[in-house]
Amino acid sequence: MNNALKISGLTKTYKDFMLDHVSFAVPCGSIVGLIGENGAGKSTTINAALGLIQKESGVVSILEHESLDQDIKEQIGVVFDGSNYPEILSPRKLNRVMKNIYQSWDEQTYISLLQQFSLPPDKRIKQFSKGMKMKLAISAALSHHSKLLILDEATSGLDPVVRDDILDMLLDFVQDEEHSILVSSHITSDLEKIADYIVFIHAGKVIFSRPKDELIEQYGILKCGAAQFDALDRSDIIAYRKLDYEWQVLISDREKLQRKYPKALIVPATIDEIMLLYVKGEK
Amino acid sequence: MRGVLVKDLYIAKSNILVTLVSLIVLGFGLSFLLEPSALLVLAPVASTTAVFISITSDAASRWNKNVITMPVSRSQIIGEKYVFYILLAILGMGTALIPCVILALLGVNVTLHALCLYGSIGMSATLLAGGISLPCAYVFDPEKSQIVFMMSFMASTGIIAGLVLLINLFIPVKHHILSAFHIVLLISVFWFILSYRIAAKIYQKQDIT
Repeated sequence: MNNALKISGLTKTYKDFMLDHVSFAVPCGSIVGLIGENGAGKSTTINAALGLIQKESGVVSILEHESLDQDIKEQIGVVFDGSNYPEILSPRKLNRVMKNIYQSWDEQTYISLLQQFSLPPDKRIKQFSKGMKMKLAISAALSHHSKLLILDEATSGLDPVVRDDILDMLLDFVQDEEHSILVSSHITSDLEKIADYIVFIHAGKVIFSRPKDELIEQYGILKCGAAQFDALDRSDIIAYRKLDYEWQVLISDREKLQRKYPKALIVPATIDEIMLLYVKGEK
Repeated sequence: MRGVLVKDLYIAKSNILVTLVSLIVLGFGLSFLLEPSALLVLAPVASTTAVFISITSDAASRWNKNVITMPVSRSQIIGEKYVFYILLAILGMGTALIPCVILALLGVNVTLHALCLYGSIGMSATLLAGGISLPCAYVFDPEKSQIVFMMSFMASTGIIAGLVLLINLFIPVKHHILSAFHIVLLISVFWFILSYRIAAKIYQKQDIT
């Protein structure tokens, strides 16, 4: 199996938004970060892939199956923003519910994850903090031998300590090369830490889908004045924006352009900066 | 489906207990004013309100979105609510029979005819109301499902009256009252099954976000 998830030409139209032929893949054993500003189409893509919303066209293949039947759902762990479990339940009661839903539910794993995350088994979920709810949701997602984990904005609104715990857990999960993760987030610093690939969605379209290391090592920002900017070859520019005292130009090959423009100041670009220039910059 | 049913039982546990205890108390209380078996009209309807508590809770916690990613099909999700509804109605009916049986043992006049008649009326009203309100809870705003349920119960009493008048055209209801209400019950069962099919079909195509 090459890809845990493959999306090809996914399209969905709303009155004021369109998911436009979205295509990307989550290779087995990897973590793919889905980035984009709020409303870019990250959640719509995930919802369509999971069959929560009806797609108009396109093919979604999960664990090499195009139909999302119950056997495939057994192997997918999904975590949304918020716990999405009835708040009247406690983790112990949730265990009783889940073991009647998942054939592959592993009670021992679940209990040990609760202990690992210091989650009280008999406290009601409504008394949990947001971080605790998220840890509970991740514990549940990891307790039925999932091969593919899908997290939609799961780390939003969490403090850095809790986020770090969760990122460690995700890194542990992909140690098994049969395991894969798709994680959507607009906290790009988290994805810089863990993702192998970055898929950037903007206004319902995939702008790029690349290995993270390639982005970090090759992309850069060329900082220059007006005269230097005018002298730039337009084909070298991905996007640019004019600030008060300088021009910032997003480029895709730092070393090549440093050789081409030896006097230019070229600095590495963070994923945040790449996203920002694509969204707010001119082309 | 069993896991989802367990979840609903946890959500509605306290409401179910309060309703059932109230029915027993009401059964003994009513015996001074009415036939104790008259409670069978109210009992199944009263006990099914817990379904709408679970529907509201599902919407509030966004469980509806979560459960679709689990190995449970959309028709099973809808089917579970219908099963839960029927189980509660039967539980309510069974609970209402407790004071009837005790009072009968104490010498109060409780006839099988009255039990069957009031039981048929109560169950018919419950099935007709559920058949209207359960699909509505998924098509419209689930937060308003309890109001829809109350309105559908009122509608169901009107439908029963209409059905009885219709049956009266073919069978003199005055002389065959039990048979007439058994026909109403059969129609209600058919409507409830049809309602499940409709609700499952609607939910199959619905976007859950």
